[in-house]
Order: sequence, then C-alpha cells, then structure tokens
Amino acid sequence: MRRSLFGLTENTWLYLLLSLGAILTSLDFLMAFLVAPVVLGGGVGGTAMIGGIAISNQLLFSQKIFFFHVPVAISSFLVFFFTAYYGVRFLMTKDKKYDTRAKIATEVTLVFVILTLITGDLWTRFEWGTWWVWEPRLTTYFIMTLLVIAYFVLRNSIEDEERRATYAAVFGIFAFMDAPISFAITRLVPSSVHPVVLRSGGGLTGTQLAAFLMGMFGMLMIAWVMFRLRLREEFAGEHIEEIKAALEG
Amino acid sequence: MAETPKSRMSSWRQFKAILRKDIVMELRTKEMLTSMGLYALLVLVVYYLALAQVGSKFDVGYIAAGLLWLAIIFTSLLGLNRSLVHEKDQGCLDALLLSPIDRPIIFFGKSVGNLLFLLIVEVIIVPMFYFFFLSGQTLAGPFWMLALVLLVGSIGIAGMGTMLATMSVNTKGKDFILAVMFIPIMFPLLYACVGAATGVVMGDAAFVDGWVQVYWRSLGIAAGYDAIMLLAAFGLYEFIIGA
Repeated sequence: MRRSLFGLTENTWLYLLLSLGAILTSLDFLMAFLVAPVVLGGGVGGTAMIGGIAISNQLLFSQKIFFFHVPVAISSFLVFFFTAYYGVRFLMTKDKKYDTRAKIATEVTLVFVILTLITGDLWTRFEWGTWWVWEPRLTTYFIMTLLVIAYFVLRNSIEDEERRATYAAVFGIFAFMDAPISFAITRLVPSSVHPVVLRSGGGLTGTQLAAFLMGMFGMLMIAWVMFRLRLREEFAGEHIEEIKAALEG
Repeated sequence: MAETPKSRMSSWRQFKAILRKDIVMELRTKEMLTSMGLYALLVLVVYYLALAQVGSKFDVGYIAAGLLWLAIIFTSLLGLNRSLVHEKDQGCLDALLLSPIDRPIIFFGKSVGNLLFLLIVEVIIVPMFYFFFLSGQTLAGPFWMLALVLLVGSIGIAGMGTMLATMSVNTKGKDFILAVMFIPIMFPLLYACVGAATGVVMGDAAFVDGWVQVYWRSLGIAAGYDAIMLLAAFGLYEFIIGA
C-alpha cells in the first residue's frame, strides 16, 4: 500500500475521513433536532400566500430539512465543479486518468443531486403546498439534473474511448455552466420563493450555523471518500482488463 | 500589416468555401429546407390538435411565443442533425479535416450555414404561425422587435446546435443524443427568448411591470448567453472535430 500524508496509508486516511464525515453528519442531525432553535418567521413580513397557503410566521419544524438539504445541495455544486475541472485537465493533457476522474466526479454529483431533489421536494410539499413549482431555483436545478443524466447518456452512446473522453469533457464543461446560475438565481431573481439562507444577515444563530457547518464538512468528506473509493475500484477494474488482455494476447 | 491581409484573406475564403458548399448542396437537393419546412408545418398541425377544443375561452396569445419557439426548436433539431449526418455519411467531414482549413473556421462556416437555413425556415413559418393561430390580433410591439429576438435566438441555436450535432453524429444515438444535450443546454436562451417574444406579442397584458423592460432584459440575457456559449464552443470545437 502506497504511503501518503503523515506516514499513514491512503486506506487509513479514507476510513478516517469516512468515519469523521459520518460522525459530523450525524452530529448535524442531532444538533438540528435537539439543540438548534426553531426558526420563526423566515422573512415573511405580514401574511404571504405561498402555494395557495397563507404563511405569516410559521417556518417551524419543516425548517429542520435545511440542515440536510442545503449541505447536500452545496456539495452537489462543488462536486460538479470537478467534472468541469477534470474535463479541462483532460483536454489539456489527453491523459485518460482525468477522464476517469471526471466521470466519477459526475457519478458522485448524481448521488448528491438526487438527495437534493428528494429533500427539497419534502420541503416543497410541506411548506409550499405542492410537489413541484416551476420556480427559478427549482427549474435551474432540474435542468442541472438533466445535464448530469445527459452526461451519462452521451458517454454510453460512444464506443471509441478517446472520443468518449473528449466529448464527455467538452459536454461536462458546458453542463457545469448551469451550476453557478442555479446557485446564484435566488439572489438574482428576487421574486423567487426559494429562501436565501446563506447571505449577510441571513439570521442563522450560532448553534444553527455550527450544525450546518458540521453537515457541510461531513458531507464533503463523505463525497471525497466516495470519489476516491470509486476511483480505486475503476483503476483496479482497468488493471484487471489489462492483465486479461496480456494473458489472452 | 503587410503580411496579415494574406492570412486573413485565406480564412475568409475558407469560410466562404464551406458556406458555399452547403448552399450549393442545398440548392441541388433542397433536402434540408423541404424537410424542415414540412416538419414545421406538421408541428403547427399538432398545435391545432392541442388547441382544437379550447374554442374562444382561451387566449392563444399568451402561449403563442412559446409555441413558436417550440416549433423552431423541433425544426432546428431535425435540421441540425441532417446537416451533420450529411457530412458524416458521405465522408465529407473526414475530407474537411484533411484539407488545410482551420478547425474553428469549419465551426464558423457550418454554423452560419445552419443559421441561414434556420432563418429561411423561420421566414416561412412565422407568418404561417401568425395566420393560423393569431389572425386578427395585432402585435403589442413593432415587428422588428420580434425579428430581433428570432435572430438572437437563432444565432445561439445554430452555433451551439452545430457544436452539439457534431458530437451527436458520432454517437450511436444520433438525433436522440442531440435532443438530450441540446434542450437542457439551450434552456436559458430559450427561456429568455420566449419571455421577450411573449412581450412583443402580448405587451403589458403578459407583464405587469412593463413589457418593454422585460423585453430588453430578456434580450440582454439571450445575447449574453450567445456570446459566452459561442466563444466557448468556438474554443472547444477543435477538440470535438479532432476526436
């Protein structure tokens, strides 16, 4: 096993990070329900009609989804960035290993995107009264989901390895352009009903912020470990193929 | 500046040669325009089916711009796919790559060709759409404003579409893959274009805060999208066509 940072093997690091990520994420849940105070009012001045329901001062228990939904969503944007990053690296070097990394980054993105959609939908149903609203954040995020799926559809449709890698890299770069749009849209379009929590004066109390940050870092750690483990699996698979080819040839 | 005219001249001539090739082929076969035009006409018939039962209870004007752009999307998907399938099937793409033409010029030439065909089809289907679904209504805005949106949207569709179609013709799925990539990537442009066009058709009835303002904002978004995406496509096309 290759030695890496501080004399520990990569394996040790991965399991350490995985455990730490799991602990932090669990703490995030526990704090969200046990310690963090309930959010009142959520910026709705007076009574507002949201999804056909009059809302005045009642972002209560449903708001707890925030501690899961927002870290997962932010992780999905951050991991998706690596699809574009490794795409650029691939186009610069034509090195196959970057293509593999870009593919796996997109796989991890898909996991987080699906989690974001599920948790977001729970909130939407409970707080806005409908399963789906074509509202700017939801729409752009849905488009991002379609782009992530299209990335895999494109890959599966090309047999030549180098061509697949090049097309996927270019498409990944174009696809990622939607992520900053989706992230910024609630700030750019003020009519959006989607709340903007991460802003100056966003109103997170200390314990809420602590719980949120724990979830954030915990999930990023888990994402990183998923990425590395999947990468090792992929390289091991390629290695086996090479050995097979050598034995047959 | 003594040396530059020669190389600039040759880029311009390369571009003209590619564009001319597409136009000559179209004039001989008339395949693209007839297939796109007929397909657009069929889409209009399908619209009639969708709207057949609403009678006078429903003002088509509110969705007219969306329907028009929908027809343009479907038609351009068909046309873009054909435009590149021709190149691929007859080995023309390989020949283009062998010739000493700069790769970005190929992108530029093919895009302008596709834009030209798309605009010709629009010249036919926009009036037809108007007579079929909006006859008797007057547009809230001047016609040139609608033409401007159509132009800005078509530039983005032709440019990005050429890029994506070059990818999709080399896959197993061809037209399906084109649609899967094209629609989500074009989404911001189409959204802005439908907004601006709805403003021209319906005016303040559709936008309470003043349609002219919405129009220019949407057009700005669409033009910005064109600029960013086409620059990116221009830079990345070399990788695509070389792979």
